[in-house]
Amino acid sequence: MARQKKVLQQTARKLITFTTPKSYVAEQFRTLRTNITFSSPDADIRTMVVTSAAPSEGKSTTSANLAVVFAQEGKRVLLVDGDMRKPTTHHTFHMGNTIGLSSILTRQAAPEDAIRPTAVERLDLLTCGAIPPNPAELLASKSMDLLIKQLKEKYDLIIFDAPPVLSVTDGQIIANKCDGVVLVINSGSTEKEMALKAKEAITASNSKIIGAVLNNYELAKDSHYYQYYGSSE
Amino acid sequence: MEETISLQDLFKTLKKRLGLIALLTILAITIAGVVSYLFLTPIYETSTQILVNQEKTDAAQMINQNIQADLQLINTYSVIIKSPAILDQVEEQLNLGLTVDQLNEKITVATAENSQVVNVTVQDPDPQVAVDIANMTANVFQEEIKELMSVDNVSILSPAVLNDNPAPVAPNPMMNMAIAGVIGLMLGVGLAFLIDYLDTTMKTDQDIEDILGIPLLGVISPIQEKAELTEKVATSSRRRAG
Repeated sequence: MARQKKVLQQTARKLITFTTPKSYVAEQFRTLRTNITFSSPDADIRTMVVTSAAPSEGKSTTSANLAVVFAQEGKRVLLVDGDMRKPTTHHTFHMGNTIGLSSILTRQAAPEDAIRPTAVERLDLLTCGAIPPNPAELLASKSMDLLIKQLKEKYDLIIFDAPPVLSVTDGQIIANKCDGVVLVINSGSTEKEMALKAKEAITASNSKIIGAVLNNYELAKDSHYYQYYGSSE
Repeated sequence: MEETISLQDLFKTLKKRLGLIALLTILAITIAGVVSYLFLTPIYETSTQILVNQEKTDAAQMINQNIQADLQLINTYSVIIKSPAILDQVEEQLNLGLTVDQLNEKITVATAENSQVVNVTVQDPDPQVAVDIANMTANVFQEEIKELMSVDNVSILSPAVLNDNPAPVAPNPMMNMAIAGVIGLMLGVGLAFLIDYLDTTMKTDQDIEDILGIPLLGVISPIQEKAELTEKVATSSRRRAG
């Protein structure tokens, strides 16, 4: 019971753009959305990877919230849990994880069965599915390419939540198949050296870095970003 | 990557570690205070004044010359006071169980400039002992000088007395605490910069541009525990109402 409550609270905390869309953090995510849209005016970004150098720097939170704000903008968005080693998106959205990406890639399920709608309008979720023994091979497979191609027809934007690039190669593989990479930097915990290596790893995978997101960044009290403009919640 | 330090950065670092700096300063002052008040033996100081004067004041024009001669004599006297010839007797009479050297360390002889007054200052943990040494030294000196220099021109101007409430001259807790405060402050500032220098994590939007050279898309503030926040507000308002 207590555990259940905690999970609910954590979820409410994580999906802040959905639960409290007027908070200034939600506004920060909308700014993020705008900047991503404007970052490449010529090339339309249809597939995007959110990754970081090391674990627990805020990839899942960022990707989920980013998916929500893009859906709120009117886009048909699919959030894919590309982290086949420590999947978390099904917790964030309160869903089962029996079938998902791994099921599709191993041809055990059709995409239509694995993709499920979320409480957020226009936002669908593809969880990780059963954790496979060979995530890197699955992600690098031809069926992955095919799947992305299929999904692009149905969705305006596909966001992948990827594992940290410096821990496993999965992030690089997904990045290689996508239009752009968003690198999450955790303020005060990401080492400069690691961040630089992560950037090099992404560049080496022949993918385009859209830019970085500075997570957990404490704004100064007198910052003009601090209060949400318009209403005080 | 070129490291440039601006004045604003320095102030920002100091501001961020203000707690640490304040803590170290207060800690240093406290330690100095505790040590000064509780652990260090207080030292008391007393002094006696000796006047050196030739008694044969026969001619008025001679006075000036005599004073000059006396002043030169005083330098000699200062040495004599601290000589074993005097201190041996002082020790003998007072029977303090001290060597001449130890006694010597407690006594300071100084002359006020261009005067014939010699100050004999004695420091000792026991104010009574300090008074005894000062007076005994002056007395012995007065007696001995007759034999040593065959003159009788020394008189005791003011003997050392024991005050009702003798105040120790050392340690000086206020001074110690002030010094400790300054040292603590410097240590805190140094440590603040050291911590900042050793911290190799990404911190600001500037870091991303400087180190990674990729555009910053946005910053995300820490997401607060909303449930906890509203709960706090509720309890505080309830308290105000009740």
